[in-house]
Amino acid sequence: MLRVGLRALFLVLVISTPAFSQLNIVGEWAGRYHEDQGDRVPGDVNGDFTGVPINEAGRRYAESWDVRRVNLLEHQCQPYNLAHIYRGPLQFRIWEEKHPATQEIIAYKIFIGTYMQSRTIWMDGRPHPPAHAPHTFMGFSTGKWNGDILTVRTTHIKKEFYRRSGIPSSDLTTVVEHYIRHGNLLSHVMIITDPVYLSEPYVNSQEFGLMDRGNQNWLYNCEYKMEVPMDQTKVPHFLPGANPVQDEWAKKFGLPLAGVWGGAESTYPEYMTKLAANTPATTLRSGPALPPRPNEVHTEVEAVHVQGNVYMLVGAGANIAVQIGDEGVLVVDTGVATMREKVLAAIRKLSTKPIRWMINTSADADHTSGNETVSQAGQTLNGNPADIIAHEGVLARMTELNRPITERPLNTYFEDGRDFSFNGEAIFLYHFDGHTNGDSIVYFRGSDVLVAGDIFLTTTFPVLDLPAGGSVDGLLAGLNKMLQITVPKWLQDGGTYVIPGHGRISDEADVVEFRDMVYIVRDRIQDMVKRGMTLEQVKAARPTLDYDGRYGVESATKFVETVYKLLSEKK
Amino acid sequence: MKNRLSAFVITVLVGLAVGSVLFAQGRGGGGGVAQPARTAAPVDLTGYWVAVVSEDWRHRMATPKKGDFESLTLTAEGSRVANAWDLAKDDAAGLQCKAFGVGGIIRQPGRLHITWQDDNTLKMEFDAGTQTRILNFDRTKQATGEKTWQGHSIAQWENPPGGGRGAAPVRAQLGNSTGPIAPGGGGRGQRGGPALASSLTQGGSLKVVTTNFREGYLRKNGVPYSETATITEYFHRLPSEPNEDTWLLVITTIEDPKYLNGAYYTSTQFKLERDGSKWAPTPCKTAPPPK
Repeated sequence: MLRVGLRALFLVLVISTPAFSQLNIVGEWAGRYHEDQGDRVPGDVNGDFTGVPINEAGRRYAESWDVRRVNLLEHQCQPYNLAHIYRGPLQFRIWEEKHPATQEIIAYKIFIGTYMQSRTIWMDGRPHPPAHAPHTFMGFSTGKWNGDILTVRTTHIKKEFYRRSGIPSSDLTTVVEHYIRHGNLLSHVMIITDPVYLSEPYVNSQEFGLMDRGNQNWLYNCEYKMEVPMDQTKVPHFLPGANPVQDEWAKKFGLPLAGVWGGAESTYPEYMTKLAANTPATTLRSGPALPPRPNEVHTEVEAVHVQGNVYMLVGAGANIAVQIGDEGVLVVDTGVATMREKVLAAIRKLSTKPIRWMINTSADADHTSGNETVSQAGQTLNGNPADIIAHEGVLARMTELNRPITERPLNTYFEDGRDFSFNGEAIFLYHFDGHTNGDSIVYFRGSDVLVAGDIFLTTTFPVLDLPAGGSVDGLLAGLNKMLQITVPKWLQDGGTYVIPGHGRISDEADVVEFRDMVYIVRDRIQDMVKRGMTLEQVKAARPTLDYDGRYGVESATKFVETVYKLLSEKK
Repeated sequence: MKNRLSAFVITVLVGLAVGSVLFAQGRGGGGGVAQPARTAAPVDLTGYWVAVVSEDWRHRMATPKKGDFESLTLTAEGSRVANAWDLAKDDAAGLQCKAFGVGGIIRQPGRLHITWQDDNTLKMEFDAGTQTRILNFDRTKQATGEKTWQGHSIAQWENPPGGGRGAAPVRAQLGNSTGPIAPGGGGRGQRGGPALASSLTQGGSLKVVTTNFREGYLRKNGVPYSETATITEYFHRLPSEPNEDTWLLVITTIEDPKYLNGAYYTSTQFKLERDGSKWAPTPCKTAPPPK
């Protein structure tokens, strides 16, 4: 017995050998601001683009940035994203979550006082979410120890900024962090890759001191305030070349503007020669090629739970929404023809109740080619195939295109909207002339999910189908309506989820960026039309430059052409 | 029975004592040089490295205006000295290298060339100001003679936990964890196991403490550090990035009660270059600040 006890004691002694402090990153940490203090703390930033390897698109975005944009209610309470939040004044707390049986570290948890953001760094080897998963301001993180360095990789980050001067970070940003501890000093390195706005990785590092005494300043309470009456549908921005404050910072410190916004080249030692000679022009480097847009038609259809009663089907062309409940099944859009049987099978996996209702958000073939299959498999209370609801513009368009009668929506509406109840929740349809003249957005009030159709996309610029009555102003009206409906949760992630016509699950922050983009590009083209520029001149001026990397040059060309046509005709 | 028990207790105590000794050596804490530093290196720092000036750009790429001490909290004496900065006077007095001394050189835009001078000495050359630092792993080498811009540096490896080169990382948990490597873990080589990959990038760092240096500038515009400052640096080679970039992080702490209120922390990034084709030594020279 004594021997057993001693062996146990031995084991306890060995296991409880004092830990190297360098590896324990648990604790409360507060920032030390000995680098970039002017930008990070007081925020003296108008026109400070230094040290960031921005590309042309990043510079255009920053030049257009008007800080009054944060007066728009949807922007007021948005937190910094991961690529930015460690650069502001902050303190954070790290703790471990361990498996109760094995004591393995499952995750590091981080609570950041600024904006009260919470992070989880998964250490259990789980994969990152698929491309269609929603993004958050802190993203999805996985970690791995490399000796005494904790390396963390984060994806699925929402668009925000690298600096308060308007240097944008896109939602395709990936952040690699390294955590290194020496005594009571924690060094944090970020290596940021952003194919949209950076020409090469942006590296920065910051120090944090272990807080001996807990600071109570952990709360951040943001309330929306309208301090100055302003039209919430107008997006403040500066037209290219018209930013009155872009050289403010350069002038203040006596630096040449070419150096201040010099991008990657200006971060290398040899640039000092150019700086000394006040060489005016610096060519911003382009970034690496963007990954190709993934094919939206997969071999299988996947059902993803969005929220409440609503699921999203991906892999059949345009996104499909399915609402299930006691009363049956409602399907919004039905995908491409080649996948219709698989769409039906995916619906049947979600629910075996009858498919009662279908809604088409437009007449497009990639949204409606499974109509017949799904409808025929369903049944109304009267025993007919499932009813297809759509704006009358959809029926008119399908008729014009000689689509089979069994694919056409015969339960149409012509008013601005319609509502009804199904599966215990109110469902609202709102009509807009956006992508076509028959667009509907569909809101499931109980589930708090909005189905956008092609009024909102995360994959390309908007597609304005002019023969089908598309309208940029109507599209903006639809997006503004969506912003009225969507409400984010308190800390700005989630809340109302939005299923776009194409792309990933989104929330209000994604919609507002898309709305802002459409508004700004329309304004630029409008200004060029007013100045009598031809379409070729407008294209050469690249009014979509700051968004081309995000939505693709090919769809940019079409978008510019259609907006130019619409605005020229209006003139 | 009693004898067996005593033997067991003695075994436990000896085991713990040996473990403690090995633990200390594993952190580079042993006296003298147990094995050549080059052999003991847990990480390879050699090569040509270029500073990527993504932070404090206006303080580093350009010369800030006199009196611009942003982010530094100077003592009254520090402010007095900084406000008295006169670039022309420095140049006339042959003090052009004051901004290229050990307290400021790492923040100068430039390239760093790290090589082994011998098995126990790392040589760190800077093309900015054509400066050279000698990092001695042999602690018996004492600073001698006049103070210099780069001073006398003593280096030691900070090995990754679980042992240095030749030791397998030890997991923090019981079982076949894929979790983090254990704190402690038993010291250098105690658990044995296969050697680390030849790239030697799996953690570990170089700690450097420098003394016997001349007074210099933290920033080009005459913000001073004194001869009595304590300068401690950690050099980390970070795990390679997906695009194959390799970064060196230099964490610097400068404590100087004469001129600074509190410690001054910076961390500076360098990227590994393929070769020395861009190596361009220049003399110590500070451009005048903008008017």
